[in-house]
Amino acid sequence: MRTRSSDWNVAGLMGSLTDKYCIVGVGETPQMRPSNRTTLSMACEAIRKAIGDAGLEARNIDGMTSYQVGDSTTSAHVATALGMRLNYAVDILGGGSSTEALIAHAVGLLEAGYCKMMVIFRSMNGRSGRRMGGQVPGGPVPVATADGDNQFFMHWGWTTPAQRFGMTAMRYLRDTGCTTKAFAEVAVAHRLHASLNPKALMRSPITIEDHQRSRWVVKPFRLLDCCQETDVSAAIVVTSRERAYDLRQPPVFVMGGTARTLSDSPAWNYSRAEIHRVAGNYGRNRLFGMAGVSQNDVDFISCYDAFTFTTLIQLEAYGFCGRGEAGDFVKGGTLQIDNRLPSNLSGGHLSEGYTHGIQMIIENVRQLRHRADDACPGGTEGRHTYDRKAGCRQLRKARICCAMGWGTETTSSSVMLRGIVA
Amino acid sequence: MPRQIDYSKLRILPDPDTREWWEGAKRRKFLVRQCKTCGQKWFPPLPACGKCTSMEVGWFETGGRGSIYSYVVVMQPIVGAFIPAVPYVVAIIDLDGCHEPDGTVTRVAGVLTNDEPEVAIGLPVEVSFDETLDPNIVVPRWTICGAAENVWRFSE
Repeated sequence: MRTRSSDWNVAGLMGSLTDKYCIVGVGETPQMRPSNRTTLSMACEAIRKAIGDAGLEARNIDGMTSYQVGDSTTSAHVATALGMRLNYAVDILGGGSSTEALIAHAVGLLEAGYCKMMVIFRSMNGRSGRRMGGQVPGGPVPVATADGDNQFFMHWGWTTPAQRFGMTAMRYLRDTGCTTKAFAEVAVAHRLHASLNPKALMRSPITIEDHQRSRWVVKPFRLLDCCQETDVSAAIVVTSRERAYDLRQPPVFVMGGTARTLSDSPAWNYSRAEIHRVAGNYGRNRLFGMAGVSQNDVDFISCYDAFTFTTLIQLEAYGFCGRGEAGDFVKGGTLQIDNRLPSNLSGGHLSEGYTHGIQMIIENVRQLRHRADDACPGGTEGRHTYDRKAGCRQLRKARICCAMGWGTETTSSSVMLRGIVA
Repeated sequence: MPRQIDYSKLRILPDPDTREWWEGAKRRKFLVRQCKTCGQKWFPPLPACGKCTSMEVGWFETGGRGSIYSYVVVMQPIVGAFIPAVPYVVAIIDLDGCHEPDGTVTRVAGVLTNDEPEVAIGLPVEVSFDETLDPNIVVPRWTICGAAENVWRFSE
């Protein structure tokens, strides 16, 4: 039995827009290091592929949103390059929990009639351009100017996501008795999935021991706890159920979600009473309530893996196991394909490539269509062998997927997706 | 052993919300904000009280002591100023005298002057101040200053 910690019995409740809007197209560039391309060029490629996947043309798109951290092109630039005339265009500041939030945003805009066919994209030179935590492409930054929040973070020598989230992970290990072998379980599962994904950057399977032997980056995180900095763009297309039925692919329905749920003191996690009570704890009843399903109904998940620990802690936050139980929950391969709760089936940020979240939604959509782009010759038409040794990564049963986004400990978005392919 | 930090590679720019805090550090005082309306304390120096929303805010002068709530050991340098300091320990510190009646405590983070084997969650620390190349910027550092029961140490 899967342990559950949901406060409410929400199965059967539903949101007023459950299953009315769909993801109908997905596309991405290769995962590159370096791309030697502009973020505009990569965004155009990803969006062309997503539109083509849906069976649409550029003139059919009338809404576009994107997220970035001041490191990317804008919807207006993309629309100009691709000759689109948009009725809605907004680019937000955001990161790891923005894709799910922008899906919610799209549902509201489409319902209200502000536009009819929306693209959501992310484009980033995450390795060769702006890197996380103040690094420049050549390595440590020569001279750092510390203003705003960085007045403090910078003089504490505490700037990267690994350093910040590591502090939360360390206290979690102390409070729960969990060890980093639980982190290793996440790394091993996601790498196994990447080994079945021809697009993934890191495809050689790893063991728990490989994880434990990898070098330290910032204790308690080793190299194999950290994701792959990547140059990449990815895009999805969202529209109404009525329009979806006319398009090329089996639609994937948005059952419900949460958009940028914040915890208390969202700007300064370290000062909170309990630093590992992360934002997903505040969102899970909204997510499952709107979707009208329980954790036991979920066939597979995507769970933001900038680090192994971020996947682990969100399993608790969204109620797939109880508080402090994630280490026991993942033990023995729980998150691996064909096991209890397969996670990040493309390999995730740890092994496929780092896309700031959107790639996980794309893989979920392909799984729910039953059209994973794996080694099966007819895979993208839905013909799979389920032979993992032959490189098939399509789940046999892929009807409901829970996607859990993570911005920081204090920011989370989610979406529950439903496929209609038996 | 005190960590060598290359302050020539770090330029700190105080702003109207933080200027008085940096002036306090220059006087070797570790200040936190305190609400003049309800008495709540907090850090960093945000301009309003998160408990009652008052913007009548002053300062509370801490004794510069606390205990380690969590820590990380940075093994790979990212910020240029800290390249000579690697490996170094950054800790979150529960400040003494800043425990509120509702159970919350004001926390800060900071670089420890101690090496990793000496560090554990629960140990007491006290502040000292490093001068930088900018005469107006003095930065706090923390050093373990005693023993405690029930400490926890990452031992992998």
